[in-house]
Amino acid sequence: MLIDTHREEVDRILAKYPADQKRSAAMPLLYLAQSAYGHITPQAMEEVGGLIGVSSTDVAGLVGFYSLYYDRQAGKRRVQICTDFPCALRGAETFAAALCQKLGVRLGETTPDGEWTVEAVMCLAACDKAPMFQVQDADGIHYHESAGPDQPLTVDQALDVLANYTSAGKGG
Amino acid sequence: MADNVTLTIDGARVTVPKGTLIVDAAKRLGNDIPVFCYHPKLQPVGMCRMCLVEVGRVQRDRASGQVIVDENGQPRVVMAPKLETACTTPVEEGMVVIGASGRVKEARDDILEFLLTSHPLDCPVCDKGGECPLQNLTIAHGPGQSRFIFEEKFRLAKQLPLGELIYLDRERCIQCARCIRFQNDIVDDRVLSFYERGRHLEIITCSEPGFDSKFSGNTTDICPVGALTTTDFRFEARPWEMNMAASICPHCPVGCNLTLNTRREARSGGQMVIKRVMPRQNEQVNEIWVCDKGRFGHHYASSSDRLTRPLVRRDGKLLEAAWEEALELAAGQLKAAGAGLAGLAGGRLSNEDLYNFRQVVTGLGGSAALNTRMGGAEQTQQVGVGLGTNFAEMGPGTAILVVASDLEEEAPIWWLRVKQAAERGATLIVANGRPTKTDRAARYVIRYAYGQEVATVLGMLVTGSSEAAEALARAENSVILFGREGLDFAGSTALAQACANLLIATNHYGRPNNGLVGVWPDANTQGAWDMGLPARGQAVLPVGATASWIVAADPVGDGEISAEALRAAGFVVVQELFLTPTAQAADVVLPAASWVEREGTFTNGERRVQRFYPAITMKGRPDFQIAAEIGARAGLSVSSHAAQIMLAIAENVPAYAGLTYQKLTEVVKQWPEVGGRDLYYGGASYTNRQGLGVQVPSAAERGADITAGKLAAPPPPARNGLTLVPVTVLYDRSTTFVRSQVMHPYVPRPYVELNTADAARLDIQDGDTVTVEAAGVRVTLTARVDGRAPEGVALMPADLGPAVPAVAGPATIQKG
Repeated sequence: MLIDTHREEVDRILAKYPADQKRSAAMPLLYLAQSAYGHITPQAMEEVGGLIGVSSTDVAGLVGFYSLYYDRQAGKRRVQICTDFPCALRGAETFAAALCQKLGVRLGETTPDGEWTVEAVMCLAACDKAPMFQVQDADGIHYHESAGPDQPLTVDQALDVLANYTSAGKGG
Repeated sequence: MADNVTLTIDGARVTVPKGTLIVDAAKRLGNDIPVFCYHPKLQPVGMCRMCLVEVGRVQRDRASGQVIVDENGQPRVVMAPKLETACTTPVEEGMVVIGASGRVKEARDDILEFLLTSHPLDCPVCDKGGECPLQNLTIAHGPGQSRFIFEEKFRLAKQLPLGELIYLDRERCIQCARCIRFQNDIVDDRVLSFYERGRHLEIITCSEPGFDSKFSGNTTDICPVGALTTTDFRFEARPWEMNMAASICPHCPVGCNLTLNTRREARSGGQMVIKRVMPRQNEQVNEIWVCDKGRFGHHYASSSDRLTRPLVRRDGKLLEAAWEEALELAAGQLKAAGAGLAGLAGGRLSNEDLYNFRQVVTGLGGSAALNTRMGGAEQTQQVGVGLGTNFAEMGPGTAILVVASDLEEEAPIWWLRVKQAAERGATLIVANGRPTKTDRAARYVIRYAYGQEVATVLGMLVTGSSEAAEALARAENSVILFGREGLDFAGSTALAQACANLLIATNHYGRPNNGLVGVWPDANTQGAWDMGLPARGQAVLPVGATASWIVAADPVGDGEISAEALRAAGFVVVQELFLTPTAQAADVVLPAASWVEREGTFTNGERRVQRFYPAITMKGRPDFQIAAEIGARAGLSVSSHAAQIMLAIAENVPAYAGLTYQKLTEVVKQWPEVGGRDLYYGGASYTNRQGLGVQVPSAAERGADITAGKLAAPPPPARNGLTLVPVTVLYDRSTTFVRSQVMHPYVPRPYVELNTADAARLDIQDGDTVTVEAAGVRVTLTARVDGRAPEGVALMPADLGPAVPAVAGPATIQKG
C-alpha cells in the first residue's frame, strides 16, 4: 500500500490541495504509484481512488486518457523515439527501425532481458536535434539528441548510450 | 414574454422558453435533428457532432447594442461561417436555424461515414437491430457507401461482460458517453468510464462486482447502438417480432410503468412468453427509467414450478383436483366457518383482488386482514401527498424528509427522483439510524438511535429545535417519506402519525407536492388499505378462528406461524402462485394467475391508481375471480370482471369515487419524446399509450376535518449490548424475485453486518460464521465487517432466508 510505503510523499501531495478537493491530487498520486510499482496496477488505481475519495473506475479513466501512465508491465527503462513529422523528415523512422533491429524487438516490445521497451512517440520538442530519443527510467526523463543538423545521431551512438545505462544500472 | 424566445427553424417559427437548446426547440416543432450523444435527460456534451446545423444570429451594433435592421426594417441576420452543434447551442431571439441544407447534409453524411469506419455492420445478429438509432439515422442520412478500407476496420473481441447483467460490444460503441453520463449524473454510481483515446477508446468498469449499479439496464435503453445489451435479452428475440403489453412493476411501491415485450414461441411450447421488460414513460412516476429488479425480476411468472391445477388434501396428501371440486370444497368449508373465518391477504394483490376478497370474507361473516408488518396507511389516506404531486417539479422551496428508510434498497426510482429534486435545490433531510446512500444528496442528516424514530420526528415539531426542523417548517412545500427500518407494525404506525402531525402542524398537506408517502413493503400495500383491509394484529390468525383463507401471503414461510398452529385453527384455503410452506399446510390450494396474465390496478405510494394488462397465456385464475367463484358457491354475488369491480370500488371507496378503467387509460403528450420514431432522441423506453393512471385525493382534499393524532414519544430503548436491526435489501430471496436466476449473482447469502469496533470486541472477522440470537430468532450466518453498521448496531437483511425479528432489539452474536 502506498500509504504504508510512501506515507510522506502521499501526505505532501495531498497537502497541496484543499481538503474538499482531494480529487485534484489524482495525477501526482498516480505518478507516485507508477514509480513505486513500475506501472499502474488495478490495485494502485483502487488505492489512489481510496486516498482521494473517487471510484477506481474514475481513476482508471485518467490512466487510460494520459499516454504517460502505463497500465502494464514493461522493461526497466523506456526508449522513446520521436517519429513525429519533423523528426521523420530527418530519418527518425529509419533510425527507429534500425535501433529496433539491433535490439531484436519491434516497436512497443520489450527486450528479452527485460531492460528496454522501445516506443515511437509524438513530438518531444527537439526538432532541431532530430533524430532524437528520450530514456525514461526511475530517475526521470533523459534526452539524447543529435549534436546538430549535420551530425545526426547514429544507431551505434544510441546503442552506446543505452549500454551506459545498463552498465551503470548493474554497477549501482 | 421576456422568458420566451422566438426563432425560426427551417422556415417554421417557434416560441420556446429561454435557455432551450436548438435541438429541443426543433423537436417541439416535430423537426428531428439527428443526435447520438445528446439525450434530453442528460446534460449536453456535443461529442458526436451529428447535430450540426447552420445558425444565423441577429446582428447588433457593437457600440450601441442596438439590433441592426435591413432596408425592409427587419433585423439583419448573419449566418455563422461554421456549422454549430444544435445540442449545445441555446436559442436566441430572432435566431435562424437551417437543418435542411446541402452543407448540413454533407456534414451529417461525413459524421456517419466516420462513425461507421469503426462500427461493425453486424446488424443482422445485433440485438439493437430494428430499434437502433445508428441504423435508422444511417438510412435517413448516411452516404450509402463507404470509402473506408474494410481491412482497416476496428476489431475487438465481442461480448465483454461488464457485470452479470450487461454485455459490452466495444466495436459497436460510438463513444457517445450516454451510459457514463447516466451513471454519473442520474444515478450517482460512478462505475463506468472511458479508457484510452481516439479509436482505442472503450468503456470500462472497475467496480466490484462489475457495473455495480441497481439501474444498469437503463443504459441499454439509451445506448444509441448495440454496444450495451442485457444478458437477459441477448439473442432472445428481434424487436419487431414482439408484442407489447402495458404493465406496472409489482416489486415496490413506486409503481413504475412497464411495457412487457412478449412473443409466442416454439421453444416454449407455443406459449406466449415475456422476452423482456422495458420502461414505459410516465414522467410523474418513473420518467423513462426502471431499476434492475423491475427489469429482470419478471421470471417468477414463467417459472416452471408455478401451480397450475388446484390441490385438495386427501389422506394427508395434497393431490390434484378439478376446479369445480376444489371450489365447492373451499366454499362449503369457508361458509360453514362463518364468524370463525379468518381471511389474510398480501399487498402484492391488485385492488380488484383485495376488494372482492374482502367482500366475500365479510359477506360470509368472517374478518379479512392485510398481512403487513408496516402501518401508517390511515395517515397517508388523511394527509398523503396532494393531487398533482410530482417529484420532478420539486426544487427550491421544497423540503423532503426521508425517515427510517433506505430509499435505494426499498424504492429505487424514488432515490433517483429525490436525489434530483435535491440537486435542483430542494432541501433533503435524511433521518436514519445508519448511513444510507440517500445521505449523499442530503442537506441535513439526522442520526438517531434505533427506537428513537418517533421521538426524532416529534422533536422536529418543536419550533427552532434544529436547522433541519426549521427548513421543513418554513419550506413552501414539504413531503415526508417514511419507512419501517427497525420498526414493527405499531412502531411504523406511530412514526406515520408523528410525520402526519408534523405536516399538519406546519400546514404541509392537502395540496400538490405536500404530504405523506409510505415507503411500503409491497406494490399495493396502499391499495390494500384503501380497499378496506385492516392490518392484522400481532397474531396471524385472530382468536377463535375456525377456518382460514390465505391469499398471496406466506406466514408459515415467513416464520410467523407454524404449519401445525395454522392447521390446528381449522380448514385452510390458500391461493398462491407457488407451493409455499403455507400452501403445503393447506387443505385446498387454488392456483392464482400472476400479474402479467390478468387485468388489475395497483395504487402506488403516491396514491396513483395504475392499470396493468394481460400479457401472456393465463395459468391458474385471477384472484378476484377465484374470490367471486367461492362467493357464488356460498351464495354471495360479486363480480368476476375487473372493470366491473373497479366500478364497485368507485362506488364504495370514497377516495376512488368516479374512477373507471377508461379514466385510467387516459394519456397526455409527454416530454421528452421517446420510443418509436423518437428512439434516436429519448431512447428505447416505450411511449405511454395505455394510461398514466389517476391519483386519488387524500381525505384532506375531500374536505375532511384533519387534526393531529395523539401520540406519546415512546421511552428510549434500554441500551445494553448489540441492537439487531432488520433492514431491507432490494435483491432478496422473496417468492416473486428469487426465481429470476439472472439476478442470483447479486442476491447475497444471509449475513449480519457488524461495526468494526463491535466485531473486534467479539473477535469476529469479516466472513466469519456467526450465530445470532434475538427475540425468538436463532440463526447461523456470515458476518460482514465493512464499516457500514454504526457502533452497537448489527444489521440483518430480511427475506434472505432466515426469519428476522419484527423490530430492532437486543441481540447476542457469537462466533461459530
